[in-house]
Amino acid sequence: MTKEIERAGIPTAQISAIYEFAMTTGANRVVRGSRIEHVCGDPDLGPEKDYAYGLRIIRTALKALQTAVVGPTLFDPAELMDS
Amino acid sequence: MATPLRVVHYLNQFFAGIGGEEMANTPPRRQEGAVGSGRPLQQALKDEGTVVATLICGDNYLSDALDNALAAIAAMLQEIKPDVVVAGPAFESGRYGLACAAVCKAAQQLGIPALTGMHPDNPGVESGRPDILVVPTGATPVHMQTALTAMTRLAIKLGRKESLGSAETEGFLPRGVREAYRREAPGYQRALEMLRAKLRGQRFATEVPILIPERVPPAAPIVDLTHATIALVTTGGLVRKGNPDRQVSANATRYFRHNVSELESLSGKDWEAYHAGYFNHIVNKNPNYILPLSFMRDLERNGEIGGIYPFMYALPGVSTPVAQARRMGREVARELAEARVSGCLLVAT
Repeated sequence: MTKEIERAGIPTAQISAIYEFAMTTGANRVVRGSRIEHVCGDPDLGPEKDYAYGLRIIRTALKALQTAVVGPTLFDPAELMDS
Repeated sequence: MATPLRVVHYLNQFFAGIGGEEMANTPPRRQEGAVGSGRPLQQALKDEGTVVATLICGDNYLSDALDNALAAIAAMLQEIKPDVVVAGPAFESGRYGLACAAVCKAAQQLGIPALTGMHPDNPGVESGRPDILVVPTGATPVHMQTALTAMTRLAIKLGRKESLGSAETEGFLPRGVREAYRREAPGYQRALEMLRAKLRGQRFATEVPILIPERVPPAAPIVDLTHATIALVTTGGLVRKGNPDRQVSANATRYFRHNVSELESLSGKDWEAYHAGYFNHIVNKNPNYILPLSFMRDLERNGEIGGIYPFMYALPGVSTPVAQARRMGREVARELAEARVSGCLLVAT
């Protein structure tokens, strides 16, 4: 589905915990999610850190949308520069 | 020499030689013997079969008045009682491909074996799965002769009620039907044989074909995020609490669109996950883990993004065949493109 939306000219970031799978199936902008059961965050971190982690994942995804890529590219929230 | 098989051929208006698009509303009609591209079919059948009748229907009529058209065709088939029905080949023509698949299904429901031929990308292939036998053809009628030769071979087998082997050996497109059978040699021997052939540079056939996923050219990046509208999609199986839309938990063939324009975040009181592929209890407490609306609203308030597209899209992305995912992806893409959405976040569990 990600690929079809990209094909229509809309940059699409696929956030997934199984990011290798998204890469091999050809999604162009892949964001490393937390875990399958809680992709955008981690309840074990407690409410504040959970929220901050989720926000970081979403900001990474938005960064991916603003980045030119030539093929499947992984964006890791751990590498997002603090802004 | 066995009695020649009685073959009924199905054609659209174009291949029957009635006319082009202007005749696409022609209701089903029957003509005796082979017509149009049925003549080369008759030649390919040689004396093993006779095209006793040709059923012709306009592609638009069949798709617009499907039930009526199929009822009429079924009535004709019951009268003729052929040994086998051959539909098409339809090549890359989508409407004709869908029609051929529908006619084959109708014939099979009457207990008459049927097959068709078309290009592997024709939507008729997917619509016919897993019931219909489809022989792969080239994209255009240039490939008529090759297509008919392959179809005829299979049609004769079907008409004679001979048992069929695998898709690979019989030359039809895999239907996704698995049949258990006993191999002649155990796995390790077959693997060693394959390795030996590979090392000798000989041909070998893998038993585990890997589908190489198609690459899509990346879309251009968003230049100004502060004016961008972002859409949210999830394959995490998000549904309204209690699943009033009766979405399935796996193998989905439809997605649901929900208006989130009035929502600040997703609450576990109103939403839950219904997805057979992971434990849903964490998402049920906080559905924003699979559809990050709360984060996006905060970023919207901060002015980091222009806005959030009013509708979100949800389905459980588990056991979904690629062709279904592609179709649903195209439908969502069309809507988002028409709405001039700037970018999309898709959360996959």
